[in-house]
Amino acid sequence: MSSPLHLPIQDLYCEHHGWLYRWLDRKLGNASDAADLAHDTFMRLLTRQPGAGFGSEPRALLTHIAKGLMIDSWRRQEVERAYLETIAHLPEQEVPSPETRWLILEALYRIEAMLRDLPEKTRQAFLMSQIDGLTYAQIAEQLQVSLVSVKRYMRDAFLACLSVA
Amino acid sequence: MNPSIDPLILGEAADWMVQLQSGSATDEDRRAIAQWQGRSAQHAQAWQRAQAILGDFDSVPAAIAGDTLKRIGRKKSLGRRQALGLLLLAGPATWLAYRQKPWQSWTADQHTATGEQRSLTLPDGTRLLINTASSLNIVFTDQVRRIELLQGEVMITTAKDPAPSHRPFIVQTRHGTARALGTHFSVRVGEQSSRVAVLDGAVEMLPAHANRGLTLKAGEQGAFSGDSVAPVQPLDIGATTWENGMLLAQRMRLADLLDELGRYRRGVLRCHASVAALTVSGAFPLRDTDASLRLLQETLPVKISSLTGYWVTVEPR
Repeated sequence: MSSPLHLPIQDLYCEHHGWLYRWLDRKLGNASDAADLAHDTFMRLLTRQPGAGFGSEPRALLTHIAKGLMIDSWRRQEVERAYLETIAHLPEQEVPSPETRWLILEALYRIEAMLRDLPEKTRQAFLMSQIDGLTYAQIAEQLQVSLVSVKRYMRDAFLACLSVA
Repeated sequence: MNPSIDPLILGEAADWMVQLQSGSATDEDRRAIAQWQGRSAQHAQAWQRAQAILGDFDSVPAAIAGDTLKRIGRKKSLGRRQALGLLLLAGPATWLAYRQKPWQSWTADQHTATGEQRSLTLPDGTRLLINTASSLNIVFTDQVRRIELLQGEVMITTAKDPAPSHRPFIVQTRHGTARALGTHFSVRVGEQSSRVAVLDGAVEMLPAHANRGLTLKAGEQGAFSGDSVAPVQPLDIGATTWENGMLLAQRMRLADLLDELGRYRRGVLRCHASVAALTVSGAFPLRDTDASLRLLQETLPVKISSLTGYWVTVEPR
């Protein structure tokens, strides 16, 4: 018998997949979504750092990951909705082709994830720099703060992005 | 999912990014950054991560990025718990929407940025190495092991399973499938066709709209479109060395070599027509394409118009 701390993923899958699926089915009320999400949860577990154990409460870990994935999907819908609203206002020739659309959405989703917990001013300054291409001096002027503050915002933002990415 | 990097190193990377963007960066700073990156694998990874962040911002048209991000609600008071409550209230319809995205790649499990390579291990021990600018779905059930390659390239080493698995291992592209048993192979999807290179074992290529396929053995490579299979060719080992971060050119046209290198760098890499047909042999690092370009400049009668800009042209000297 292997101890719970060293359960290989196969055993974890066999022992808990059915339970996780039923748990999700109850939460979501949709069998096929529950199956998809249970699958995604195990995939996420697999792609974590190798060597990380599953802890002594594997079911708690599984539901933790599954909840995170539900929130992720909710965030993705947010981004998607905002994107669709944005392109609805664009002239037709500026609307990205379907082929590039998903690349843009994936990038937007990652950007949103990197910036979501930043304080408002930091986020604003960072977007002015990375998206609008303003210089630090221009940002300082627009936000009415010192150049040193702008640099601090930028450092905080880069560090947050690097920690999430 | 991501290798953990010492927060101190991330902090230093952030400092350097600010210095570079502040407008007051000197050549000495740039040299110091190059040196800093070389200090350890973590330093190099941190810098790669920073470049990937800039890449994300670069890949979205400014008008779209600014507007979209403004439209995303900034519900600071909404913690994770409340967010989850909302989602659950929204119920099944929300989930249906998530799964019925009109564009397939929304469900892509794995996505690599330009210049990035990522490896991962599947539950049966199969190893995937995902090449630059690629995206794929992993469908892994009791009945099937399937990789849906939407874009780019993947190298697969299936596990040497003592008890042979009944589940087929399939790589699916828009052109058809490549079906494998106990093998080491790569699949690259392009506009017109998908290419398969087999290092070990055997792989059957089956176009989506054809009745019969073609089996490739170790040391062979082939290609298929939606309705036909190209004749088998001996394996060009250069097509697989990206696995080790190198591009191996054997009497390759310069234009083709630059097309390959271009997959691993942001921006546009162009080749002047008068040098396009020069033949090149050698090994070129993919993780440092600037170094590869310098190497070309040293060994061929060519010059590089700009090493740092978005537009780079290789011209006659």
